[in-house]
Amino acid sequence: MGNVRFIILKEIRHILRDPRSLFIAILMPIMMTFLYGYAINLDIKNIRLAVLDYDQTSASRELVGRFYHSGYFAASLAPADMADPEAVLKRGDAHAVMIIRGGFAEALRGAAPYQLGLLLDGADANMSAAAASYSNVIIQRYLGESPGVGAAGRGVALSQRVLYNPDLKSSHFLVPGLIAIILMMISALLTSVTIAREKETGTMEQLLTAPVGPFQVILGKVIPYVGLALLDGVLVLSVGVLHFGVPLIGSSLLLLFFGLIYIIAALSLGVLISTLARTQQVAMMAALVATVLPSVMLSGFIFEIRNMPALLRFITMLVPARYFLLIMRGVMLKGSGLAVLWPQAAALVALTTLLLVAAVKRFRIRIG
Amino acid sequence: MMDYAVVIDGLSKKFGAFAAVDGISLKVEYGEIFGFLGANGAGKTTAIRMLCGLLQPTSGTGTVNGFDINREYEKIKPSIGYMSQKFSLYGDLTGRENLQFYGTVYGLRGGRLKGRIAELVDGLSLDEFIDRPTGALPVGWRQRIALAAAILHRPRIVFLDEPTGGVDPVFRRRFWEILYRLADDGTNLFVTTHYMDEAEFCSRISIMHRGKIVVVGRPRELVASRGLRNLQETFISLISEQGTDG
Amino acid sequence: MRHMWTVLALVTKEFRQVFRDRNMLRLIFLMPFLQLVILGYAVDTDVRRIHTAVYDFDRSRLSREFVRSMSAGDYFLMSTSDRSVLDLDENFQTNRFNAALVIPRDFGRNLENGNLAPASLIVDGSNANSAGIAMGYAGMIAAQFNRQAAGLAPSISIRQKLLYNSEAESVYYMVPGIVAVLLTMITVMLTSMAIVREREMGTLEQVMVTPISTPAFILGKTIPFAVLGFVEMSLALAVGILWFGIPFAGSWPLLYGLSLVYLFTTLGMGIFVSTITSTQQQAMFFAWFFIIFAIMTSGFFAPIENMPPVVQHMTYANPLRFFMRIVRGIMMKGAGVNTLYRDIAAMVLYSAAIFSLALMRFSKRHR
Repeated sequence: MGNVRFIILKEIRHILRDPRSLFIAILMPIMMTFLYGYAINLDIKNIRLAVLDYDQTSASRELVGRFYHSGYFAASLAPADMADPEAVLKRGDAHAVMIIRGGFAEALRGAAPYQLGLLLDGADANMSAAAASYSNVIIQRYLGESPGVGAAGRGVALSQRVLYNPDLKSSHFLVPGLIAIILMMISALLTSVTIAREKETGTMEQLLTAPVGPFQVILGKVIPYVGLALLDGVLVLSVGVLHFGVPLIGSSLLLLFFGLIYIIAALSLGVLISTLARTQQVAMMAALVATVLPSVMLSGFIFEIRNMPALLRFITMLVPARYFLLIMRGVMLKGSGLAVLWPQAAALVALTTLLLVAAVKRFRIRIG
Repeated sequence: MMDYAVVIDGLSKKFGAFAAVDGISLKVEYGEIFGFLGANGAGKTTAIRMLCGLLQPTSGTGTVNGFDINREYEKIKPSIGYMSQKFSLYGDLTGRENLQFYGTVYGLRGGRLKGRIAELVDGLSLDEFIDRPTGALPVGWRQRIALAAAILHRPRIVFLDEPTGGVDPVFRRRFWEILYRLADDGTNLFVTTHYMDEAEFCSRISIMHRGKIVVVGRPRELVASRGLRNLQETFISLISEQGTDG
Repeated sequence: MRHMWTVLALVTKEFRQVFRDRNMLRLIFLMPFLQLVILGYAVDTDVRRIHTAVYDFDRSRLSREFVRSMSAGDYFLMSTSDRSVLDLDENFQTNRFNAALVIPRDFGRNLENGNLAPASLIVDGSNANSAGIAMGYAGMIAAQFNRQAAGLAPSISIRQKLLYNSEAESVYYMVPGIVAVLLTMITVMLTSMAIVREREMGTLEQVMVTPISTPAFILGKTIPFAVLGFVEMSLALAVGILWFGIPFAGSWPLLYGLSLVYLFTTLGMGIFVSTITSTQQQAMFFAWFFIIFAIMTSGFFAPIENMPPVVQHMTYANPLRFFMRIVRGIMMKGAGVNTLYRDIAAMVLYSAAIFSLALMRFSKRHR
């Protein structure tokens, strides 16, 4: 065990002797938290809407007002041109153009069937889909409240209540996921590259000729990164909780425990990759493809797993971040404990064990 | 005025407060094998890197092949060869691929390049190893291929920084035989080493200690002037004298 | 003439090194496929099929009718829960359900009597985005239900026309984005690491002692990665067009020409990173830092319009932002120079500035 301590010390010296990398290792998670907290707002708002109102009645103006006051739509950068309504979309000055032909007010009183026109810039499919459904929602609500309908104390009064995140803040959803991604980046990416580096520069041979087993070498190299990863995790968590007001309802101890298990899974992945890579470039690319990308895209961090096709849904089951993410969100936002989270916990532990065994085995074979 | 291969005057290199090379002056004539001796960390490598245009001097002047090391350092490069202490060819490429690359960079092409590589493979007996990745070769062969890369373009001066580090005595002897042949063909050699038996092969040597040149002269004359038996003892006595002073 | 041969020798050498490592080769070609396939299929931010538990304590004709109208339109996936409302929290915590509709007793009678009939929708807010959209849908459905109950047919409808992407496929939007992101990642990362690798392994010194000129060295070192970048980009485009069937509306030469201009930014960035780092690990880290900032503020995932004003201003410092708009504009809208000139001008400026800065910082001799 004394030998392991020696290697740990050496690795810590490497890290400390390179203050620029350390600086980035600490700055990057903070930058990412702020960017995700502020910049990545997944709810689509401020869709730039241009209106061509040929009806010009109080009813049509009321409808337009409802669009702009909904929070989803904002004024376009330039007004739409009656001769060529599509031009404003092509220039990118608006995302949508609403055309209210004459006869809207009469139609509202139930006179005749009427169609509102909505031109959408489909280039951003998400934005146009949102624009379409938001306008439906706004119009139907407007109709529902128009004279002769529910306003007179009749009909269904649907009250709505939000649990866990009453203000509907994206950051509450993103920060737990961000921790999963940053832990993966620091653990898998850095360890695979640092081990590949020893191989590439030839120092690994030197280390292995010392009276230490290969397992000890790896343990020694990996332990400092556990510390660094934990530090980063705590940093992101602190910024999330203190600055963005993300709740931490459940047990911090539980978080730490599963954080550690997840880090072990990530480090095992890093070691596995390093056995395949002879150079740092290969290690970096492999870690990117095998660990970071799946953790971002296939974990449910941004893209909902239930919307994916069956094959991808199956692949997500092999992504440790998927389980860790559910645990993080459960514990932080809903105060869940093991009684509820045991399936995810069991899956994460099983996956981690599998990866750890594979990493140790492969490393032995490579060295022996 | 004599035509010198290397002239340096008051050359210094400071890294912060530490003077790696501290005002050295030296003249090396054409036709010499010049041994640049010193203990580890004496500043030999730093000095050589300044001469090759890899490192900017803090102060002092000098010329290599008549070109100023402060201003014309790019002009020096076509006429010199350099073999660094650490093996610095591409380990994932074969010897031949390395030589092809460097040959082209030095302006050799086509038949001339092919001919020159064949000549070197022949002269340095490399045929068995030239088509394997250099990273997988035994150290001695790696050094030979590195030498081939350094003399590929027939430079007038070759700087060799510890060319025989980590090589067995038989290999070292053969390596020096090659260097002698080179010198006979008129190439000027500027060699650092800390093997004293190698230093005795040199026509002149200098001994460096803590950034300064302690003494310059022919090996035999240096030994004689101190009244000692061999260069090894001379070196040790010179260095220990310096050590008590400084 | 001489320089040209030198550049060629460097390019040959660099390609030999890349191709000698089979794993590297596999990864370089695997990356665009993986990114495209995953993003092409995974990205579906449409909120649909919200798993909703129904607690119907009324069990009347009207309550069932209301539940039916909620499940119409694919927005809510309703399943009746026989258990008590008390298991709601557990249902949410295990993620079995993300919403619950509670219809109290007397719902039907209230409606028939022309009174207000309260009902409530409880939403799991941990995913703020889908929760907000679910609430909007529910409100809309309730309003429609009331209008119908009042005997007013929905006489006002919307006729929508989608331009450029008439099927509203996310893939159409993501593929051009991926092209821009791939080009950035490959070139910044590999260029900086390739140069620093030579420094770390000691091979750079041997090159620097040759009469190679700085521009020849830089060109020789960057051309291979520019080529790789173009290959990646073409692969991504091929998969996008052949597999996902995305349309290509604009001009190919314009796309490749402007990509070449953009490459000066990323290659310059790679060189710049290599001048401030001494190990590949450091270079990778610095390159990462730049790439993450560039991707996140480029409008790739989330529209720039949604960002707060301060962040929106920050995006102007990001060359990828302009290139992203150019690629999307050309591919999806068939935009030309006349509509893209502002973005093109900004990108050209960045390319010139970053590449010159990198050249100035790169020196053959150590100070």
